[in-house]
Amino acid sequence: MGEFTTLAISAVLLAGFYAAMAYGLGLIYGVLRIVNLAHGGIIMAAAYLAWQLFERFRIDPFLAIPIALVVFFGVGVVIYLGLVRFIPRGPAGAVQSLLLLFGVWLIIRNAAYLLFTGNEQVIQTSYATSSVTILGGGFSVTRIAVFGVAIVALLGLHLLLTRTYLGKAIRAVAQNPDSCTLAGINVERVYLLTFGLGTALAGLAGVLASTLFAFTPSFGAGELLKSFVIIVLGGLGSIIGIALGALVLAFAEVFAVYVVPPYLTSAVGFVLLVVVLVLRPGGLFGQRVLR
Amino acid sequence: MIRAGGFLAALVLLWISPLVLPISEYTHHIVGLTFMFMAAALAWNWLGGFVGQISFGHAAMFGVGGFVAARVMLATGLPFGLAWIVGGLAAGVFALLWGHPTLRLRGPYFSIATIGVGEATRLGATYWSGFTGGSSGLSLPLDGNPTKYELYWYGLYLLAAAVAISWWLRRSRIGLGLLAIKEDVEAAGDLGVNPVLYQDVVLFLSGAMVGVCGGFYASYQAFIDPSDMFSFDRSISLILMAVIGGIGVALGPLWGAVVFVIIQEFLLASYSQFYLGLYGALLVLIILFEPLGLTGLAARLARFSRVARFSRITR
Repeated sequence: MGEFTTLAISAVLLAGFYAAMAYGLGLIYGVLRIVNLAHGGIIMAAAYLAWQLFERFRIDPFLAIPIALVVFFGVGVVIYLGLVRFIPRGPAGAVQSLLLLFGVWLIIRNAAYLLFTGNEQVIQTSYATSSVTILGGGFSVTRIAVFGVAIVALLGLHLLLTRTYLGKAIRAVAQNPDSCTLAGINVERVYLLTFGLGTALAGLAGVLASTLFAFTPSFGAGELLKSFVIIVLGGLGSIIGIALGALVLAFAEVFAVYVVPPYLTSAVGFVLLVVVLVLRPGGLFGQRVLR
Repeated sequence: MIRAGGFLAALVLLWISPLVLPISEYTHHIVGLTFMFMAAALAWNWLGGFVGQISFGHAAMFGVGGFVAARVMLATGLPFGLAWIVGGLAAGVFALLWGHPTLRLRGPYFSIATIGVGEATRLGATYWSGFTGGSSGLSLPLDGNPTKYELYWYGLYLLAAAVAISWWLRRSRIGLGLLAIKEDVEAAGDLGVNPVLYQDVVLFLSGAMVGVCGGFYASYQAFIDPSDMFSFDRSISLILMAVIGGIGVALGPLWGAVVFVIIQEFLLASYSQFYLGLYGALLVLIILFEPLGLTGLAARLARFSRVARFSRITR
């Protein structure tokens, strides 16, 4: 029983991080109908940013979050204005945007190899090894802090999307860009801000990841895949969907240690994806993911 | 008919040229390998170009084909050509195993699922060392394995088969069905095109051809290991060849493969630390400026020269 509770709590903690990680990808897809294949690359780049800030200026990764948000919002704006803007919308542009952003990912990876070599990096904070006891199981302070930040970020995002004019405009464009033009919403501007916001969220996820895992320039492929699995599981409709998707994935991964050898846990998400697709082609919680 | 004749003539020329022309051994080997890449890129294009389902995981079939072929040769002593075909069939079946469920997904969803397929297969292959030799790899039998010199012609046969299938897929009823699926799955379904069946057929063909190419590559290298055969870079290279040549154009990837090998052999030999960035930049530039790659560029040049000639006449 004790072990079960411990695993369940660590799954919930992991799910918080996963939800924050997946939201950027889901937001961009929901509004622009583009899968941001550079998502994993941004996560990796943000981890390196946090690492550099920590090594050079002794800035704690959690204090680096505002910096990363601003920096990667800017990065997203630049990628949108410089590249994504020129891709046609709709199914015709789907393949093109995919390959384009994949190219961006390769460039980011190469830049990281040149700047930081392929060596594995970790951020050793003073509290990295301290832990607290919850219900008989020890949990590292970092993981709890990551969970807290993720929840705050998701709540903030929820408020932004439901309580502000920009949020309403974003949701309206997600539903029907053409009518938005008629209603006087600057759709192009909403696209730009959404892409920036989604990229900033990937940046946040990267900083959080840097406190949890060791990373190399090829870090991020697994994160992209997991984010995607969560979106398919949970649908794009709401924070609730993303949270449920993240919980399902996190529980599956954490409890998979009972059935599969440790090196295969990273394949759990994919197996889950295929199973869901076979049983429920529309995703676990609704039809919106398939068009 | 004229194109088919031209193609046959080109094949004959390529078949006899190493026998009559003074080609260096190195070039001879590289051209043979290029034939294989051309065939693999064409096969990728059947799914990625004809149906519009971009696969980031074709290295999985390349690896399965290579390792099954190698194991068959080691265990049964079957001739290498037959071993490649067994490897190809295994790869085709493997492609159906993951592809039949995931091909219900369209566009980006399918693509990301294939990233997962590629990674899961690579992990599985690396840890299943009883079959693949794990990180220490697998050596092919010394006798019975063709030399790089002989492989030139087998590469050519592979290429000929891939070109023939490309043509058949484009011209036949299936090809029209694939175009319909690419444009609009639901409308295609209403017209009596069974999207599941058609996509499965193409995926099997594509996977099997890439698997045979994997077998060829195993014979060519005489030593294979999972981290090379199943690498993500291998999947990327197939995408690049197709994109450079012209994605969706029946024979476009042929030219893409040539350019790719040239980049690989001549540029990256000296600047290997830039290869990912170079591939990325190529992708970005082609997609932004000429989504049909070299084929689009050629069409543009042809149009331009026609206009130029026309203006000369009127002047």
